[in-house]
Amino acid sequence: MKTVFVQPELCIGCRHCEVACAIEHAENKNIFAAVSEEKRSQPRIYVETGIHYLTFPNRCRHCDPAPCMQVCPTEALARDAGTGSVLVHYNRCIGCAVCAMACPFGIIQFNCVHQLDTDREVNAKCDNCIGRQNAGMIPACAEACKTGALVFGDADDLIRSSRKDFTLRLITTAETGVEAQKMPANIRAYRAIMAELAELQGET
Amino acid sequence: MYDSSAGKKIAETRALDKNDQEIMVKSMEDGIETVWDRFACQQPQCGFGQLGICCNRCAMGPCRTEPFGKKPTRGTCGADADLIVARNLLDDLTTGAAAHSDHGREVVEAMLATAEGRAQGYQILDEGKLKVVATEYGIKTTGRKKEEIAGELARALLEEFGTLKNRIQLTERAPQKTKDAWKKLGIMPRSVDREVVEAMHRIQMGVDSDYTNILLHAMRTALSDGWGGSMMGTDCSDILFGTPTPLKAWINLATISRDKVNIVLHGHNPVLSDMIVKASEDPGLVKRAKDAGAKGINLAGMCCTGNELLMRHGIPLAGSFFDQELVIATGAVEAMVIDYQCIFPAVIQTAGCYHTKVVTTSRKAKIPGSIFKEFRPETGLDTAKEIIGLAIDNFANRNPGRVRIPDKPMQLMSGFSEEAIRKALGGTYKPLIDAIVAGKIKGAVGIVGCNNPKIKQDYGHVTLAKELIRRDILVVETGCAAIACGKAGLLVPEAADMAGPGLKSVCNALGIPPVLHMGSCVDCSRILVLAANIAKELNVGISDLPLGGAAPEWYSQKAISIGTYFVASGVYTVLGIPPKIFGSANVTNLLAAQLTGIVNASFAVEPDPVKAADLLEAEINRKRKALGI
Repeated sequence: MKTVFVQPELCIGCRHCEVACAIEHAENKNIFAAVSEEKRSQPRIYVETGIHYLTFPNRCRHCDPAPCMQVCPTEALARDAGTGSVLVHYNRCIGCAVCAMACPFGIIQFNCVHQLDTDREVNAKCDNCIGRQNAGMIPACAEACKTGALVFGDADDLIRSSRKDFTLRLITTAETGVEAQKMPANIRAYRAIMAELAELQGET
Repeated sequence: MYDSSAGKKIAETRALDKNDQEIMVKSMEDGIETVWDRFACQQPQCGFGQLGICCNRCAMGPCRTEPFGKKPTRGTCGADADLIVARNLLDDLTTGAAAHSDHGREVVEAMLATAEGRAQGYQILDEGKLKVVATEYGIKTTGRKKEEIAGELARALLEEFGTLKNRIQLTERAPQKTKDAWKKLGIMPRSVDREVVEAMHRIQMGVDSDYTNILLHAMRTALSDGWGGSMMGTDCSDILFGTPTPLKAWINLATISRDKVNIVLHGHNPVLSDMIVKASEDPGLVKRAKDAGAKGINLAGMCCTGNELLMRHGIPLAGSFFDQELVIATGAVEAMVIDYQCIFPAVIQTAGCYHTKVVTTSRKAKIPGSIFKEFRPETGLDTAKEIIGLAIDNFANRNPGRVRIPDKPMQLMSGFSEEAIRKALGGTYKPLIDAIVAGKIKGAVGIVGCNNPKIKQDYGHVTLAKELIRRDILVVETGCAAIACGKAGLLVPEAADMAGPGLKSVCNALGIPPVLHMGSCVDCSRILVLAANIAKELNVGISDLPLGGAAPEWYSQKAISIGTYFVASGVYTVLGIPPKIFGSANVTNLLAAQLTGIVNASFAVEPDPVKAADLLEAEINRKRKALGI
C-alpha cells in the first residue's frame, strides 16, 4: 500500500505543501490563475503548530476501514480500488459533517468545489491526488516538500527506513560509534532556542 | 459571551505591565485585533524564512536550501546556505542602518534650514554642543554667530553622506586601538550613504559570493550608522532642541489624561514632535481646548519619539512599541501623530474602532486611511498648530462610555545624555573607572531594542536589567528597553535598593538610578561615545572594557545594525530572539564564536534573561581579568 508518510521532525512549517495542494485542487492548476478563481481552492493538508513552535503536516490518512466512510449516510465516501484512497462524491455529499465527527485526525473541512455547479459546501478532504497518481505522479504535497517531511511510497518501506533511523539513534546513544542520521547542530541549536522562547511564553 | 477572566489570563501571558494588561483586556472586550492576535494567526511561520535560507532576490527564484543535509544545497544561481544567509542578513542590517541614517540626515537638514533662517519656530538651543562638534570638524567657532557655525557644520555633516571624502569624521571619536582594529579589518566606514548603496550592490546576484566578505561589509555598514548617521541624529537633535539633562517625569498608559485633549506622538524623529511641544504651549490653542470642554492639552510620547521628548522636556511617555494599539484602545486618544519607523500599519484599523485620528506627517511614511499633514521645517510651527487644532476639534467625538485609563502612572528619571553622565561624575570618568577598578561596579551593559510577540512584552528587558544590577553591573538603556524598565520602576534612584551593594552605594552617592535612560534608539550612539570616552581615559580600546550589550526583545532590522555596531566596536552582545542565520552553520559560528578572535567581541543568542545575565557577567569577568582588575 502506498501512502504519504510523515516524518514530523523534518517539518519546518513552510506550508509549501498547503500551497501545492490548493493549486492541485484548483480548476486551473497553476498558482497565478488559481488565486483568482471564483471558488478559491483551499489546502486539504494542514500545517499547524504543536508545542515549542514545532509543526506537523496533518492530512487524510485514507484509513481502512475508514470511520468517515462507515458513518456517511449518503454513501458519498468510497474507496478507490487501485490506490486505496478514500474519495468524496461531491454530488452525494449533504454537508452533514458526520464524517468530520468520526474522523480521528480532524482533517475534514467543508468548502465550495469547482466540480459542483452550486455554492454548496461539501467535504473537500484530501483525495490523495488521485488524478496525479493515475497519471503516474506522486501527490502534490509530497512533491512540494523540500525537507522530506512528507514522503510518498510504500508504507512498509517508509516505516522500515524510519525504524532503521530509530535503531541507529538508539545504538548511537549507547555509544557504539555507529554514525546515525542526525539533526544538524545548527538546526538543533535553533530549535532549542525556540523551545526556550516557547517555555518562557508559558506554552508547554 | 466574552469571558473577561479568560482575557485577563491571556493578557498576563502577553505583557508584564499591569496597566498594559488592563487595557489589553479592554481591547479584547472591544474586539480589537492586536499584534499578539496577528502573530498567533501567522503560526506556523515558514522555517526556511526563519532559518534565513529563503532567497527571494531575483526572478530565477524564489529559492531555498534544504536545512537537514539533503538537496537542494544551492539556489538556482548556485548560492549555498552560507551565501543566502549572509546576503539576507546584510539586506536586513542595511535596511536598519538606512533607517537610522536617513533619520539623522533629516535632523541635519533641519539644522541647516534653521541656520539659514528658513525653518519656522526652530533655534539653535545648545550652542555649547554646537561648538564642540564644530571644532571636531575643524570649523572656526570664535567670533562667529551660532547660525553661521551651524550652517557650516550642517554642510560638513551632509558631506559625510557623500562619496568624495571617503572618511567619516565622527569615527575619530573612537579610541585609537578601536580605529586601528577597524582599519586592519578594512571596515572603517567611508561614508554613510556609500556603505548602504554598496551593500545593496553586493547582494545583487553575481556580486559578492563570499559570506565572510559580506559580513565584513555588514560590520562596516553598521559602523556607518552607529558612528555616522545615528550619531549625527543624536548630536544635531541636541544642538537644535537641547542636550538632555536629568529630569523626572511619568510613564505608562496612565499618562493618558481623562479630561484633556490627548495627543500621542509616535515614531522616532524629534524634528516634528518638538515643534508640537512648542505649539501645545500656544495660549490660543490652550484656550481653544478649554472652549472645547477639555481641561487642556496632554501630549504623551510613544516609542522613540516619546523617548526624545521625555529626555529633553519630560513629556510623559505612554509606552513602547507594543503599546501603540493599546493606547488607542483607552478610547481617550484624540490624535496619534506619527513620523516614521515602527508604526504598525494596523493602527488605522485600531483607530477606526474609536474616535482617534491618525495623522501621518512624512512623505516617506504614508498610511491609507490616515490624515496626511506634510511636515517641513519651513512651515513646522504652522503644521504643528494645525495638527493640535485637529485633535482639539476631535475631543467632542470622544465617547466617555468607551474610555478606560489605568490609575497609576510610574515615575521615572530620564535625561542621561553622555554629557549629563560625565557632568554628574564631576566632568571626568575617573570616579566611574575607580568604582569599576575597585569592583564596586563590575562593568556596564547596554540593554536596547524593541518588543517582540515571541516573548512576553517587557519580561526580557526588565528581568535582565534586574539580574544585572543585582550583580553590581550598571545598566544603560535606550529605546523600548528603557521604556520597559521605566514602566517597571527601575528608572528611579530608589531602584538602587534592588542593586548589589557596590552599585547601590555608587547610585546613592550620586543620586542616580541603577538603570540609566540614555534616549531613543539612535541614541545608542550616546552609549558608543560613553564607552569611547572611558576607553580613551584608560588608553585602551572599547573591546578591552568590561562592557556588554543586550537586545532581549528585538524585532527590527535597526536592531541588527545596532547589535552589529556594538560588536564591531568591541562590545559582546546577547540577542534574546534568534536572528535569521541558523540555516548556515558557518555564518552562525562566525558571528557567535570566530568574531571574538577578530574584534574581541561576538554575538550570543539566549532568550532566557537570567541565562543572558550569566553570559554577560562571564564576559565582563573575562574582560576584567584581561585588564588585571
